[in-house]
Amino acid sequence: MVENLHHLLEGISIAIQPGNFLVAMIGLVLGVIVGVLPGLGGANGVAILIPLTVTMKPVPGIILLSSIYWGALYGGSITSILFNIPGEPWSVATTFDGYPLAKKGKAGKALVMAFLSHGVGAVLGVILLSFFAPIIAEFALKFGPAEIFSVMMLTFSAFVGLGGKSPTKTLISIFFGFILAAVGMDIVTGQLRMTFGSVELMGGFNFIVAVIGLFGLGEIFLTVEEGLKMEGISAKVTFKDIVEGSKELVLHWKTLLMGALIGCWMGLKPGGATPASFMAYGFAKQAAKNKAEFGQGASAGIIAPEAAAHAAGTSATLPMITLGIPGSPTMAVIMGGLMIFGLLPGPMLFKEHADFVWGLIGSCWVGNFVGLFIVLAFTPLFAAVLKIRFAILMPSIVYVCAIGAYAVNNRMIDIHYMIIFGVLGYLFKKLDYPLAPMVLALVLGDMAEAAMRQALIIGHGSPLIFFKPPIALPIMIAAIIIFFMPTISPLFKKKRPSVGPA
Amino acid sequence: MRKAEIIVALFFVAIGIIAIVDAARVGFGWGPSGPESGFFPFYLGVGTLICSAFVLTKGFKEFKKEGSGKRLIPEGGLKPILWVLLPSTGMVILTEFVGLHIAAATFLAFYMRAVGKIRWVTIALVSILLPVSLFIVFDKLFLIPLPTGLWGSKLIPF
Repeated sequence: MVENLHHLLEGISIAIQPGNFLVAMIGLVLGVIVGVLPGLGGANGVAILIPLTVTMKPVPGIILLSSIYWGALYGGSITSILFNIPGEPWSVATTFDGYPLAKKGKAGKALVMAFLSHGVGAVLGVILLSFFAPIIAEFALKFGPAEIFSVMMLTFSAFVGLGGKSPTKTLISIFFGFILAAVGMDIVTGQLRMTFGSVELMGGFNFIVAVIGLFGLGEIFLTVEEGLKMEGISAKVTFKDIVEGSKELVLHWKTLLMGALIGCWMGLKPGGATPASFMAYGFAKQAAKNKAEFGQGASAGIIAPEAAAHAAGTSATLPMITLGIPGSPTMAVIMGGLMIFGLLPGPMLFKEHADFVWGLIGSCWVGNFVGLFIVLAFTPLFAAVLKIRFAILMPSIVYVCAIGAYAVNNRMIDIHYMIIFGVLGYLFKKLDYPLAPMVLALVLGDMAEAAMRQALIIGHGSPLIFFKPPIALPIMIAAIIIFFMPTISPLFKKKRPSVGPA
Repeated sequence: MRKAEIIVALFFVAIGIIAIVDAARVGFGWGPSGPESGFFPFYLGVGTLICSAFVLTKGFKEFKKEGSGKRLIPEGGLKPILWVLLPSTGMVILTEFVGLHIAAATFLAFYMRAVGKIRWVTIALVSILLPVSLFIVFDKLFLIPLPTGLWGSKLIPF
């Protein structure tokens, strides 16, 4: 523990070096803008900027990428409160009470509450990260291919069982991602697969291009189809708002803590931030004395989901750096960034690049704190970004997306793929195929396949290797139980009243 | 909506078949060095096929019972989408010839004028300043060369 504290202080001192601090500031501002703009979310923003970080050193590079993520988390609450447009899926729950409160002329107060809850959620998430990451990494060092594969199974079965979408469609999404990942050269035997003699297909599909297309263009298609209406409430955050907001936070400290804890717990699972925010909202509503207030601008209705979403966003870093398994598309993209630096996320990262890992964790602390001050001070400026005419924003976003897609591998074909993925993303969203599992499958494809094949070789072809005690067996059993959650849980629900999101 | 559901499910059936056929080509059994190249894709293909068959039969059943249902793209939604999709595709094609920055400037100007009906002054400012600043940041500062197309290097000779 003491040793970790020492490491942590070292990490923070790395993060506040002037150069790194400046990078974090730039990342945060860019992140908030990205979070505010439609069609550009955290995943996308990070994806587009990955090429820029290649020329940087690993530590400032990863600080830039993660700061964009923290910024985007903050930016999402600005749009959901002022414009009633959730910038990110986990901000949806915030619109329920955030927008009504803003409409009542209390926009400043609503924003302060959201930002402060974010801050508290993030601190709890970072504490979790700082003290548990080394322990989990130590434990994960014992993992062999079978164990790694079983953890991946757990990740994907969580999408099927807990994702809330149709299980068959989630499975198709996962399989499709894995198939796309398999296109190109087989890393084990060097054989070409599914290339059909085409040189372009030999390079395979890069997941960053897929992210830019699916989340960037796909989102734009959805936005223009619905006909974007920007009816924003202009807001300034005054000192009085800060005082009032803080008071509310102290008053609702139980809700705040509950939200943050739900977030920390859910964030460890893949795709956790969105369900966490809804769960926290539901619990806050159940626990409240005055339920009628919810939906009309209840403070607890802002505090709970915001704390949960940001705590989940922070604690999602934990499985990524300790196990090399990202829980969300954004984390997957950040992991892709790490791999570009030649750093393979996973338990060895803690051993071999301790300064890097602790620099990253230190920057989580610094980034979240500085981010809080940036959004408190400059919210009106960020909100003004949305006042720019959509006809100017939209082509600019497509332009920037194209740059990002091209610069990943300097391949022209990737821009074509981006457009195709954009159309696919639109269709997927419309027909309710989940996107996140597909992106994760595309990222983890090679690793999952290699782990599975190695494990089978070790087990002489027997699939029983995946059920080997003591580590793989319980993980696999958990994976199977979670996978069949949708079929199991109705059996229990009859006995107990449901406590799900309202 | 249901027609689109069926078409997308058929697309995945095709993907599954492609994966299986290709896996059969490279072999999906147990080779001298463990599982062969097609091992993993084969089961992925089988899985895709099974799941998409489920979605497909469900889609057909509902289609027979209740007709095609809600439209995939709501009334009046297709036009704005095509207004984004076609010019974007146009930009990509143009990029092959004149490079990304010039193509994007054209795209920006076109979209702002045709869809946004924005003043010419603003159009000129945005479609010149944005590409120029992105050119400086990417091509010059970070030394990430963006596509120049066939003639782009002649059009921007610095």
